[in-house]
Amino acid sequence: MEGVGRRFALGLRAQLALVALALLALPWAGVSFVNELERTLLAGQERALLATARAVATALHDRPQLLAAAPARDDAVRREAELELQRIAQSEGRLPQAAIAQLPLEREAELAARKAQEEIGAILRGVQRTESRLWVVNRRYQVLALEGSLRRATPAPESGALRSAWRRVAGWVIDRPSEDFAESVPDDVLAAGRDIASALQGTPGTRTRRTPDGRTVVISAAHPIWNGNEVAGAVVVEETTNPIASLRSDALERLLLLTLAAFAGAAAILIGFATRLSQRIRRLRDEAESAIDARGRLARVAAGSDAGDEIGDLSRSISAMLARLAQHHVYLESMAGRLSHELRTPIAVVRSSLENLKLAATPEESRTYVARAEEGLARLNTILQRMSEATRLEQALRTAERERYDLGAVVRGCVEGYRLAYAATPIVLEAPARALEVSGSPDLGAQLLDKLVENAVEFSPAGEAVHVRLQEQGRYALLAVQNKGPALPAQMRARLFESMVSVRETRAGAAPHLGLGLYVARLIAEFHGGAIEAADTAGGDGVVLRVHLPLAR
Amino acid sequence: MSRRIAIVEDDPAIRANYAEALRKHGFDVSAYGARAEALAAMRARLPDLAVIDIGLGGDADAGFELCRELRALSASLPIIFLTARDSDFDVVSGLRLGADDYLTKDVSLPHLLARIAALFRRAELQSEPGAQEDTLERGDLALDLKRFSIAWRGQSVPLTLTEFWMVHALARHPGHVKSREQLMREANLVVDDGTVTSHVKRIRRKFQGVDPGFEHIETAYGMGYRWKE
Repeated sequence: MEGVGRRFALGLRAQLALVALALLALPWAGVSFVNELERTLLAGQERALLATARAVATALHDRPQLLAAAPARDDAVRREAELELQRIAQSEGRLPQAAIAQLPLEREAELAARKAQEEIGAILRGVQRTESRLWVVNRRYQVLALEGSLRRATPAPESGALRSAWRRVAGWVIDRPSEDFAESVPDDVLAAGRDIASALQGTPGTRTRRTPDGRTVVISAAHPIWNGNEVAGAVVVEETTNPIASLRSDALERLLLLTLAAFAGAAAILIGFATRLSQRIRRLRDEAESAIDARGRLARVAAGSDAGDEIGDLSRSISAMLARLAQHHVYLESMAGRLSHELRTPIAVVRSSLENLKLAATPEESRTYVARAEEGLARLNTILQRMSEATRLEQALRTAERERYDLGAVVRGCVEGYRLAYAATPIVLEAPARALEVSGSPDLGAQLLDKLVENAVEFSPAGEAVHVRLQEQGRYALLAVQNKGPALPAQMRARLFESMVSVRETRAGAAPHLGLGLYVARLIAEFHGGAIEAADTAGGDGVVLRVHLPLAR
Repeated sequence: MSRRIAIVEDDPAIRANYAEALRKHGFDVSAYGARAEALAAMRARLPDLAVIDIGLGGDADAGFELCRELRALSASLPIIFLTARDSDFDVVSGLRLGADDYLTKDVSLPHLLARIAALFRRAELQSEPGAQEDTLERGDLALDLKRFSIAWRGQSVPLTLTEFWMVHALARHPGHVKSREQLMREANLVVDDGTVTSHVKRIRRKFQGVDPGFEHIETAYGMGYRWKE
């Protein structure tokens, strides 16, 4: 299960980065808003154009003489438009053939026409704005007057290298409206010009179209000019959407800039936050992992323990859990001692009863059973004594006084004793002649060596020597007890020095073994400020127990 | 007139067993299960010897209190603690309160009887000075084998019976190492090595109380102890 989890695992940072993608909804909403704004502005522009057209048309109402005149000014654009207009209108059958025939005007009429045009031009100039083009068309689709240009004055070149650089970059994403477009009145403006057509029918109309080169969009509004009850012509007002488009581009550019800045900021904050979070969690994990050391001792978890958030909570509950575990551990370690204590009274009952039984005059047969019961009781007693040994030692360590003593003298004396006690096992001693002074208790030091040698002798095959080696190693005295025999089971190596852990197989009839000996050794080594470890020998055919005790200075 | 022994022990089975065993040996035994009851009875009539358990009923230290109260009633009444508690701390506390000996319930009845007999002997002889003396002298050390008392350079060293027997075992053969097992046997004690160690420590301290320069009990590491002259 863990393997699967690991394969798809994303760090907290990556997860937060994914979550941050939700921020992309913000620029999308911004773009939608800008588009909506643009639509509103375009509708407003349309209405404004229509209003202008109506104003001009109002000025031209009921002045048929102005509209009757033919245009004379040789404006290339106008002429082109006019020709096209007429050609197309004719082909569509909107214009009577006669109208063309009437085109050639007489000189007087021409003069009148010029006057009329000047008047119309004056009216148009009066309402004309910089970015709009106005023209007047008569019923025959003749453009009578045309004023203004669609082009705006070229905008001032952008100042600042940074700003223009940004413009160039933003240009990849956002189109800016161009002022470089074909201004001519294209064929279809008039031909397919629904606005003009509908104006000439008597209804004002508007229309949005692209310029012939497609570079920009033009909005046009046409309003009929009334002569009494009939339509005499139409006023057309045109404007590009460039001002609005450039507003939109500006807004989008700013939006892009803001979005990028916000993203960068949010990303920095999120990554920082996630980094801190995962650092804290990692620290907590590391501490939790090392809270139980190789010897089963429990430490507290300090990481984030005073933080008010969930990680602090977690840290505290891990600490609480460890504390409960430590209590349990202490309970287990002291259980042997307490058990032996609790068992003392019932054993005393059994013992005193047996002894009373012996004092009473009993038949020979029952004496045998009493003897067996006493034998069992003696064994039970030995077990109890071993069980309480660790507890008693712990109590003794609390009150023990420290003194400087020569570890070498203790080891030499003890080994003398072992040679007597374990006659079947040769004990080889290597110890320096000079004193190795340590700080602690010589009695406890002897007890430590007792445990190690007892252990080594029990594991050693008959006739094989047990080696006791004492040497100086830097600031430590190294005491090593080595025996031939089976290697240590790997999974037991770290737990060997815990209370009631034994690697021994139970043998019938052998002295009871509770796995307290090496635990006692560890307690004494720790009392001396040292440490104890177990390892297989280099050849793998034995075990060596090493105790490092700091030398007294 | 038979000697009167009071047993204060909260476990009825043990109480009955000890009481019966002592009665069989000719003692007049009264057994009590609680501290108040025992104290009231002993106030009325002091026994010749008291055997007290430390934990009585729910009170873990009732025996200590009782010991103090008995000691107040009589300075010479022999008092033995007989308890399941065997920590050094309890032993020291019990002896400091003026008990003459401290035994754990591992002790066998013959051992208990030997101690009781020895204590009676000591009490008897202390009350009649001028009796015939049986002493062992080793330099500055003088052991009175009848009174179970020890003097160092003429000054009395206040040892318990157990401690007396240990010193006796060591001093009888100066220079010879006595193993812990041997010391236990000689002191009629069934305890483990650690307890022997703490007993020896206490003995040394008591001698040092009389003579700060006392260094005659030597540890032979891994083997035991010996008396050095």
